[in-house]
Amino acid sequence: MSTDPDTSGLLRSILPPKRLDRLFDLCGAHGWKLIGAGAVVGALPPVFGLREGYMMTVLSEMFLFAILALSWDIVGGQTGYPSFGNMAFFGIGGYATAILVKDAAVSFPIAMVGAVVAVLVFAAINGLIVLRLRGHYFAIATLGILLAIQQVTRNLDITGGASGKILFDVPPGIVFYYFFLAVLVVEMAVVYYLTQTRFGFILNAIRDDEGKATAMGFNTTYYKTAAWMLAALFTGLAGGAYGLFNTFLDPQTAYNGAWNVELIAMALMGGTGTVAGPVIGAFGLHTIIEYVESSFVGWQLVLLGVAIIVTVIRFPKGVVGTLRAYANEMDYYERGGMAATDDEEVTTDE
Amino acid sequence: MSNTPETDDHAATATADDTVLRTEGITKRFGGLTAVNEVDVEVHEGEIVGLIGPNGAGKSTLFNCITGTLTADEGRVTLQGEDVTDWPEYKIARAGLGRMFQETRIFGGMSVRKNLLLAAQEGGADIGGLLRRPDDSLMERTNELLEYVDLGGLADTRAGRLSFGQQKLIEFAMELMAEPDLLLMDEPAGGINPTMLENLIDYIRTANDEEEATIFLIEHNMDFVMEIADRIYVLAHGERIATGTPDEIQNNQHVIDAYLGRE
Repeated sequence: MSTDPDTSGLLRSILPPKRLDRLFDLCGAHGWKLIGAGAVVGALPPVFGLREGYMMTVLSEMFLFAILALSWDIVGGQTGYPSFGNMAFFGIGGYATAILVKDAAVSFPIAMVGAVVAVLVFAAINGLIVLRLRGHYFAIATLGILLAIQQVTRNLDITGGASGKILFDVPPGIVFYYFFLAVLVVEMAVVYYLTQTRFGFILNAIRDDEGKATAMGFNTTYYKTAAWMLAALFTGLAGGAYGLFNTFLDPQTAYNGAWNVELIAMALMGGTGTVAGPVIGAFGLHTIIEYVESSFVGWQLVLLGVAIIVTVIRFPKGVVGTLRAYANEMDYYERGGMAATDDEEVTTDE
Repeated sequence: MSNTPETDDHAATATADDTVLRTEGITKRFGGLTAVNEVDVEVHEGEIVGLIGPNGAGKSTLFNCITGTLTADEGRVTLQGEDVTDWPEYKIARAGLGRMFQETRIFGGMSVRKNLLLAAQEGGADIGGLLRRPDDSLMERTNELLEYVDLGGLADTRAGRLSFGQQKLIEFAMELMAEPDLLLMDEPAGGINPTMLENLIDYIRTANDEEEATIFLIEHNMDFVMEIADRIYVLAHGERIATGTPDEIQNNQHVIDAYLGRE
């Protein structure tokens, strides 16, 4: 298994590490502008006539998955707690909105507020319990919660049981296109800002060595729960809109375990612990999945499995992480040292 | 210093209100094994106190009971006059206890600079502090400390890429940044080369002289501990067998016997 970035002569001549490192510095320094530019570019297709149809749906779903992958990464990548249960927030958000809109006849925006409250309460309660677990135990516990909440939903009348809920009189597709885009932009801005704050540093510290973080005076359960709730907030918002976007919600769709794996794969492929990585991964993998679904029906899960295996073996740092490791080789050039992998030590100052 | 194990006359001469750390009758058992047995220690403000003993003497277990990593079965731990025996680890740390680990623990996925920024206490735990970006004064102090430990050029390098010795310096710089009331150091001299060891001695001395840092350290390197410590406690088989100045400890028959396996 190799984590060594591509050191071929071709890549080196096209994009020398030093130039890429400068590009990363530039992106880091102008993050706000990049997010703003992304928002503008994302808003353009409907302006130029793409207001409905297949492409509109695909683009909306790309934004949706980017929200989900970035939300997963707040806890899975930034904090080091890989969850298999994020779709529970998605489902609760979806059902809360659907029930409020259909049964309580409230407007979409008010229903979203209700969905957010429901998701945050759920996340706070289960976060304080499952976030005391670590590693495999945490992963299995979150999967257990997802399956349990799916089963509970299947047995309730208010949720429509196993048949689910069909939603009529939903807003047009363009509303959801802009809604998903707006949530994604806000989420990227929030995560980008947090990575520069003490709160963001603490999450990264928990990821790297939770015992040391505790020994430094941080009540890690408190910070993990805050991160968990932040992830739940954005996932719940996405779920809340998805029910109406899809005009139908059932337990299988709302608490989709395969989607949970998919969004983990997206974050891994793009690069965990970064702002851009999960978004890039979501756009890339969803595009591939859409292509495979339309051209090779039934093979999308096979592709997903292959993509995950190739990623974790060949590019465990994902697209962004691999490029960053390659770019950081300049550290060694400047010290007159040899090119080295990211896992080797710098010993020149000793 | 007599050879009587329980004499603690040096600690007794200090005034009561400058006691930073006091343990009284700390006992910790693991099943049938008593790892620490009724150990009393005191560390006073501005002191460097050593804790030595053969392998398995209970030194790290005592440290773990002090920091709250382990809960003592019996006894009390007082930090700055406050009983912290049953406090959780993070709360004891926040009350002013810093710790450097034997195996060196820093946040390898973060840059060297972020490691230090994280250690600064100014940010606190309130929402405002948590959601603020580091201000100029904090960045300046971080840069100064990194220059001080000769790691200024590596501020933006991922900390996990540095050598063991450099990581040890980062951990020490983090504690300087945090300015704890008491710093526990578990084998600070372990695994580093002689040049860096000399530097580390200088850094610890300077922190003690100029910043009045109070330090309680475990060490197996006898030259190091005899050179740097004001007082030394000796543990063997979980019990405190001696205390005194480095000169006194070197001539203490109980200590010599313990290290030669006669006790």
